[in-house]
Amino acid sequence: MKRIVVVAAMLALSAGAVVADQEQVKKTQGMMKGNGKNAGALVAMVKGEKPYDQATVDAALAQFEDTAKQLPTLFPESMKGVKLDGDYAPSPKIWEDKAGFEQHIASFAKTVSEAKGKVKDVDTLKAELGVIGKQCGGCHETYRLKKG
Amino acid sequence: MLRRILLLAGLASLIGFGVFWWLTIPATVAASALPAYQPNLANGLTTFNAGGCSSCHAVPKQDDRTKLGGGLAIPSPFGTFYAPNISPDPNDGIGSWSEADFVTAVMKGTSPSGTHYFPAFPYTSYQHARVNDVRDLFAYLKTLPPVAGKVRDHDVPFPFNIRRDVGVWKFLFMDGKPFIADASRSAHWYRGAYLVNSFGHCAECHSPRNFLGGIVSSQRFAGGPNPEGEGWVPNITPRGIADWSAKDIAYFLESGQTPDGDSAGGSMVRVIRNTSQLSPSDRDAIADYIKSLPPVDGPPKPTRKADKTDPS
Repeated sequence: MKRIVVVAAMLALSAGAVVADQEQVKKTQGMMKGNGKNAGALVAMVKGEKPYDQATVDAALAQFEDTAKQLPTLFPESMKGVKLDGDYAPSPKIWEDKAGFEQHIASFAKTVSEAKGKVKDVDTLKAELGVIGKQCGGCHETYRLKKG
Repeated sequence: MLRRILLLAGLASLIGFGVFWWLTIPATVAASALPAYQPNLANGLTTFNAGGCSSCHAVPKQDDRTKLGGGLAIPSPFGTFYAPNISPDPNDGIGSWSEADFVTAVMKGTSPSGTHYFPAFPYTSYQHARVNDVRDLFAYLKTLPPVAGKVRDHDVPFPFNIRRDVGVWKFLFMDGKPFIADASRSAHWYRGAYLVNSFGHCAECHSPRNFLGGIVSSQRFAGGPNPEGEGWVPNITPRGIADWSAKDIAYFLESGQTPDGDSAGGSMVRVIRNTSQLSPSDRDAIADYIKSLPPVDGPPKPTRKADKTDPS
């Protein structure tokens, strides 16, 4: 009987962990999709498809800043190897090269905070978006896998 | 009787070996085939950026695209290749090469010592380049800083390590034909087609390959499993990116940003580092050409269900 209880408890615990992981995955994916949406709005302005709008720029930069703060917690060790839906998966390199990954996050955070207050019109937006975009790509180059 | 059979078999294998040997003689370009020429360094730089040389040959983990000391590991189903040093260092790089050596290497895939290069070096695309562009590139590379240090040997197991076999591969997958202008199209479109199919070597990653590692020509540009390992290379025909405008493609090549705000990842990040240095007109030309590709379905992507059972 005791054994059954222990096994059941363990099963329940591990099931709980899986659920938590899925929650974490959803949160991380939601955050990244939010970044994409905001970056997409900025890209549209740079390309002249939409008129320049300071409020959109400020909102996007604020969200990038929030992401930079949360990024260190968005990829906990427990997410390693978790199967997820969507086009992308975190590369195992996130956990194999933790120092490198964290360095990228710090660099992204620095770039975003420097961009704040600098973007005033389309030209400054184009310049800063280029710098920020390089940060996105720099990390996705090594730490993101495309699945389909 | 037995003696006769043995004799015949011996003769047949001798002929077979002769044909193999003849078929796999590495092709070269003789110095006498290159008339006097004053290279254009500015065009050499453009060629360098379009060719993505630094994507593989730049020293990894540093930002200087002109330090071409090599060393990058390029995994493949046939083993791991290590990009060689192509800096002008006379001992470890290409400093002591003649111009004919360089043209032969880039356009024929043959080394100065007369052996086949492995097709990880995309000479199947570079063969379509104009000779003068290659000569300009050579002159430009000579202006870059020499980097000392020989790169380690490729880690390619038997039987793929037999260089002579690459000759058969070339016979199968390298047509040796120059790139021909399509008279019904604009010069702008042709420029894009030229850049994509020669130096740009886009199809080398954006096409599925058969079991011998040759591009499946009917599915050129239709994407497929990443030959470098995990993941998937996107279809860049209208089947994959129909909702991208030519402007979207050009902006992506400039900034690495997709229309929906996503950013390029994986090896494409290195490609963007090069294409961002091209002229806006060249990027527009590439975009025009890519938009004009016929829609082609790529190999089927792994389904989510297969994903779950696959431990990779």
